[in-house]
Amino acid sequence: MNAVTSARPVSDVAHATCLGIADLSARARAGAKGPGTAAWLAGLGLPLPARPNSWLALPEGGLIARLGNTEYLIEGNAALVESVLRAPRAAGVYPVLRQDAAFALCGSRVNELLLQVCNVDFRCLAADPALVLLTSMAGVGVTVLRSGDIANPVFRLWCDGTYGHYLATTLLEIAGELGGGGIAPDLLP
Amino acid sequence: MPWRLLRFATAKQHPEPRMFTAHAELKKSYDVVIIGGGGHGLSAAYYLGRDHGITNVAVLEKGYIGGGNTGRNTTIIRSNYLTPEGVKFYDESVRLWQDLSTEFDLNLFYANRGHFTLAHTDSALRTMRWRAEVNKHYGVDSEVVGPDFVKQAAPMIDLSCGGHAPILGALYHAPGSVARHDAVAWGYGKGADLRGAEIHQQTEVLGIVVKGGKVCGVQTSRGFIETNKVLCAVAGFTPRILEMVDIKTPLYIHPLQAMVSEPIKPWLDPILVSGSLHIYISQSARGELVMGASLDPYEVQSTRSTLDFVEGLSAHMLDMFPFLSHVKVMRQWAGMADMTPDFAPIMGKTPVEGFYLDAGWGTWGFKATPVCGKTMAHTVATDTPHPLIHGFSLDRFRNYALTGEKGAASVGH
Amino acid sequence: MKIMTCPINGPRPVSEFFYWGEMRPMPDPDTCSDDAWADYVFNRNGAPGVKKEWWCHTASNTWFVAVRDTEKDQVLRTYLYGEQP
Ligand SMILES: Cc1cc2nc3c(=O)[nH]c(=O)nc-3n(C[C@H](O)[C@H](O)[C@H](O)COP(=O)(O)OP(=O)(O)OC[C@H]3O[C@@H](n4cnc5c(N)ncnc54)[C@H](O)[C@@H]3O)c2cc1C
Repeated sequence: MNAVTSARPVSDVAHATCLGIADLSARARAGAKGPGTAAWLAGLGLPLPARPNSWLALPEGGLIARLGNTEYLIEGNAALVESVLRAPRAAGVYPVLRQDAAFALCGSRVNELLLQVCNVDFRCLAADPALVLLTSMAGVGVTVLRSGDIANPVFRLWCDGTYGHYLATTLLEIAGELGGGGIAPDLLP
Repeated sequence: MPWRLLRFATAKQHPEPRMFTAHAELKKSYDVVIIGGGGHGLSAAYYLGRDHGITNVAVLEKGYIGGGNTGRNTTIIRSNYLTPEGVKFYDESVRLWQDLSTEFDLNLFYANRGHFTLAHTDSALRTMRWRAEVNKHYGVDSEVVGPDFVKQAAPMIDLSCGGHAPILGALYHAPGSVARHDAVAWGYGKGADLRGAEIHQQTEVLGIVVKGGKVCGVQTSRGFIETNKVLCAVAGFTPRILEMVDIKTPLYIHPLQAMVSEPIKPWLDPILVSGSLHIYISQSARGELVMGASLDPYEVQSTRSTLDFVEGLSAHMLDMFPFLSHVKVMRQWAGMADMTPDFAPIMGKTPVEGFYLDAGWGTWGFKATPVCGKTMAHTVATDTPHPLIHGFSLDRFRNYALTGEKGAASVGH
Repeated sequence: MKIMTCPINGPRPVSEFFYWGEMRPMPDPDTCSDDAWADYVFNRNGAPGVKKEWWCHTASNTWFVAVRDTEKDQVLRTYLYGEQP
């Protein structure tokens, strides 16, 4: 997946502290599901989140998220993702094509934006930082988790790629009203 | 208190009589018992008397007349349906509507406005071409028009719908109309009463006695009555009545909601419906905007209404008419829609002799009130289905011979 | 806003869910009569009651069973198919 936002993100530090939205759609990603998936991924040397709807940071960068009972999303390190994509599949493992649009939101006013577009109050992630939430944001099905520390949270967001443009436009419009905007990924805390 | 009012209050004889007689007692038996004092039941009672001379008739209504979907609907009348069966049937209804005010000596506020079904996609436009052809074939005024024509009829419209659902054209149906719903129930009730039928409000049917496959009586909250013919016209309550006679049907009940705005100056003449945005709107004679949307997404057998509905409908309405953003919503409500899988009604005889069914009217049965009464009266009086309702029999499901009306009826109105 | 509890994702607004009707046993299409098959395909129990229904949490594509009073619109229980209610 290519980046979905057309305007080049300005390297605007002010946005990043107030409310910044980075487009991470172009990151490498792999998905798999099915009853054999946990064992298969473990065999590939990946650590596995113990609970459904939780995630772990990977030692080589990136993350692995468990979506529901038997579905996993791996994102980050291109070489690692490539090795998962190429590994011969075992019984009960079905590939999931990940054509997500993906974003990261940060800044002091990020909650004000989130409260306008989603029913879930993401402050609950402060109590359980390993939680992955699958919900609906501005009418679009999204997967959300929080990385970064509590003082400077970064909310990661994935949605179906075909909704990416709409969701990005919607979020950027609100971010603009709150004094934020698009940022380059390297400005994320 | 003004003197004139006091005189009315104390007088025994009122110059304006009640619309119909209140009967203290139920008779021991009736030739026909009609369950449901909505438009359909009252209209059937009326035509039984007028066309068939059958006047020993009781209409049993558990609440008050017109308190069901008849008094909850958004009163759109049209005949631009998709199937030949539907078009012929609804066209006859539109014809009957024309004379009703005169016939009842009661103003139904029947207002011919013109009806647009907006197309936002190529496939919607294709269905409209198809509908227009079927309509014209049966002599119904219906044509596909371009966005300019829509703009002329409703100058306040944003043809781009906020940019994400631009209007490509519309199916225009000049005869499309609205009418005063309560008055329709009252008019038919008054007419039936004049011809001898009895209307019993606050009378609930609790059971139906069937012996040897034939109807022989009805148990009500006010006692038992004998009868060999029962017509069931209870819309969203139909499955409960059918349990009493052990008849299975595909009927399922979802709420259909609607809302009105505060009254504003007249600015919208025609009736507008959008299949893609799932909304419709007209402006009443009082200036209120009458607005509706699609069915609620899941089964509920009650008339609760929801905030989700108001939010969803308002959001889409603003796509079409952004200038309404400051107009206040005044009321919202719901009715129970008795839905069928093919969006056509279920009418006629049933496996139980003497039990006749007028149901499956879902979100679209107000316009059919006159023709339903007329054809059901014929069916009950002669024990043979009226030719206009052949396509609507309950048998069609068992025979896999559905009457697919979805393309013309999916946005409820 | 009505709340439905997904067995995996927890309580969520009902707008995140999709309703797929009452759970009904399918007759064996090879052995049942045409009438029994048509009954299965078309007929529904439209009367109010406490029903077992299929629901799906669309944001996570989780299918599950809800036991619901369809007159009061009250969800009594939700559980994953195959799990004991
Ligand atoms: C919000 C909404 C909008 C709609 N908009 C339109 C529209 O624009 N155009 C259109 O053509 N149609 C529309 N409809 C559909 C239309 O309202 C109905 O199809 C039609 O009114 C049905 O009339 P009826 O007489 O059969 O039923 P009802 O008017 O519902 O009458 C049935 C009566 O039966 C009574 N009853 C039930 N059970 C018993 C019992 N056991 N004993 C005694 N009495 C009983 C009820 O109290 C009720 O009064 C709409 C419906 C709704 C809910």
